[in-house]
Amino acid sequence: MMDITIGQFFPGDSIIHRMDPRTKILFTMLYMIVIFLVNNFAGFAVIFLFILAVIVSSRVPVKYYFKGLKTILILMLFTALFNLFLTPGNTIYTLPYLGWTISDSGIRFAAFMLFRLTFLLIGTSALTFTTSPVVLTDGLEYLMRPFSKIGVPAHEIAMMMTIALRFIPTFAEETDRIKKAQSARGADFESGSILKRAKAMVPILVPLFVGAFRRADDLAIAMEARCYRGGEGRTSLKQLSFSYADIYGLASAAIILTAVIICNIYSHF
Amino acid sequence: MNKLTGNTRKLVMTAMLSAVATVLMFVDFSVPFMPNYIKMDISELPALIASFSMGPAAGVAVCLIKNLANLFRSQTGGIGELCNFFLGICFVLPAGLVYKMNKTKKGALTGCLVGAVSMAALSLPLNYFFIYPIYSKFMSMEAIIKSYQIIFPKVNSLFECLLIFNVPFTFIKGLLVAILTFALYKKIAPVIHGKG
Repeated sequence: MMDITIGQFFPGDSIIHRMDPRTKILFTMLYMIVIFLVNNFAGFAVIFLFILAVIVSSRVPVKYYFKGLKTILILMLFTALFNLFLTPGNTIYTLPYLGWTISDSGIRFAAFMLFRLTFLLIGTSALTFTTSPVVLTDGLEYLMRPFSKIGVPAHEIAMMMTIALRFIPTFAEETDRIKKAQSARGADFESGSILKRAKAMVPILVPLFVGAFRRADDLAIAMEARCYRGGEGRTSLKQLSFSYADIYGLASAAIILTAVIICNIYSHF
Repeated sequence: MNKLTGNTRKLVMTAMLSAVATVLMFVDFSVPFMPNYIKMDISELPALIASFSMGPAAGVAVCLIKNLANLFRSQTGGIGELCNFFLGICFVLPAGLVYKMNKTKKGALTGCLVGAVSMAALSLPLNYFFIYPIYSKFMSMEAIIKSYQIIFPKVNSLFECLLIFNVPFTFIKGLLVAILTFALYKKIAPVIHGKG
């Protein structure tokens, strides 16, 4: 079975879960910018404390955060090794036989990049752990609304997003089933050149697409029967609203930004 | 069934194709001769089909939704998704526009080729000026180039790496999607137009 989990929502009632999705999205964007602004290890110490606070207050088990990192462990090790061996600087150690060199700046750079990547991923997964994809989409719709004046179809994008999120698991399951059915009839997907393997995809793709279009027709009829007529004047059952949790969020955003800027200017570590 | 006002159906169709595209992102072939963070997938296929059947805007929408959905489980903090989104547009927008002007088999073929060429050509400036500078925030430029040199020792600048590896790779990806579209389109066209 293909492992497709869109979003990694961990239901809960922590202060971070209760924050408005708009706050969390904007906060995450700011956080990503801050991560790139950090230029020394003191800055990362600040980020570390902050992330620790987020992990604890999100009440999502720490192992989930590490599970997210595990999927890209190989990429991270690969990157770290490349940075370690291939960054020019004062050589402090040469590997016997291979002649690869480790320099002082290589060690510094590899550690620095490892921190940056780790903190970026933990921070962004904090958003998806505490916010369900549908709520996130709601938040995105609100945030995109100002752009609808310049022709961005905010409501349509959010609606398509919601429908897609609903059907991704369905199609994943269907793809799996079709693949098994064709394999049972002797289809071979694993061998041959790229072209051959791509051609072998056709017997999977045709039923997949036809199924998707049938479902689209059914859903479109169901929506029209319920008088769906686009975003104009549409109201929603759950209104987004800001609460005291968002004030904490805002305050901590201001603090972390200031702290990182101070570290950038005054720390030389 | 055909009494539907079209708009809702188009919206839902685009959404469904985006869902299929997201699923297809997981069915990727890993490709020999490329650094391992570059993968071949055929998730542009639903976007191209949307672009042909419902207009270029629908194709762009599929690219957008597919990458937004993938953002929830991104392993690159959104950079890979951003890159995929822009390249997807470079492919489906010209292809859809060409086909819109000339709705014949020849038009579709020209559209696919123009799309594949434009995606491959535009991937160069996009990667060079935008994506790789962001990657270099995680990996030194020397390391990126070295990772290409392991495969082909003669390259010695990022520009050469991109020209020798990424551009042909992107072009082949475009061609692959085009071939699949031709193999599929006739079979699924009746269902798209509500006659299935």
